[in-house]
Amino acid sequence: MSDEQLIKEITSGNHAAFKSLMEKYQLQVFRTVMGFVHTKEDAEEVTQDIFIRVYQSLSSFHHDAEFSTWLYRITVNMSLNFLRSNRKNRLLQSLEAIFSYRSEEKTPLEEMEQAERDRRIRMAIDALPEKQRMAFVLSRYEELPQKKIAEVMNRTEGAVEQLLQRAKENLQKKLSKP
Amino acid sequence: MKTEQHIDEFIRREKETIPNPYLSTRVMAKIEGLEKVKSKKASLWPALALAASIAAVAFLGVSIGNSYVESGTPEKILNINDRQIENLVYYNLDENE
Repeated sequence: MSDEQLIKEITSGNHAAFKSLMEKYQLQVFRTVMGFVHTKEDAEEVTQDIFIRVYQSLSSFHHDAEFSTWLYRITVNMSLNFLRSNRKNRLLQSLEAIFSYRSEEKTPLEEMEQAERDRRIRMAIDALPEKQRMAFVLSRYEELPQKKIAEVMNRTEGAVEQLLQRAKENLQKKLSKP
Repeated sequence: MKTEQHIDEFIRREKETIPNPYLSTRVMAKIEGLEKVKSKKASLWPALALAASIAAVAFLGVSIGNSYVESGTPEKILNINDRQIENLVYYNLDENE
């Protein structure tokens, strides 16, 4: 069933159709949210809220854009809102991630190094300006083409290319510092 | 170059994270809960409307009752005084026994 048909079914009162729609897109939404929040628990919470929002505002979706574009917009906005309202808890979570990291193939020292590297990468991504971060996550986590990212962000393809280039440079700069 | 590899490796691991398989079921349960609350609120309105209309009818009845003004005159009221119709003092007089 196409997205359009599923949406028609849902708006006419068929709740089961929403489950099909959600199962079709939940992994994409979850992966994108992971790019912003970096923890499974938070990503699940935000994904849940996103689909509830989608269900409640589906009647206002007028097919001006593709459903997936609309969904990505909601995903990115709600992920950023979540980060803004949970700024204090972020530091605690990144420390928790360091201590909970376990790998059977690595020595404790290698594990520590990897956890520290991950923490620095996470902080570097989190420190990117919002627009660069949006473009970076959609490009690297979702592997979306620049055209699609431009549609989601309401920008030109050239602007998205620039944002991606700047995000790459910023990450290199931040991570090359000792 | 190494930094780029580390970033790729980090993103690859994050992308491998899989959500709880019951996530969609959880969302559906939440949506159903919200729908139930919504329909409860909707079914509350007719009951409230019925209660309000009963209260309005009762109030209207009391107001109409209070606004009634008696049209009878005080003289007529005096005429139905028993003591005036039948003088009881008459029976208390000894001469009439």
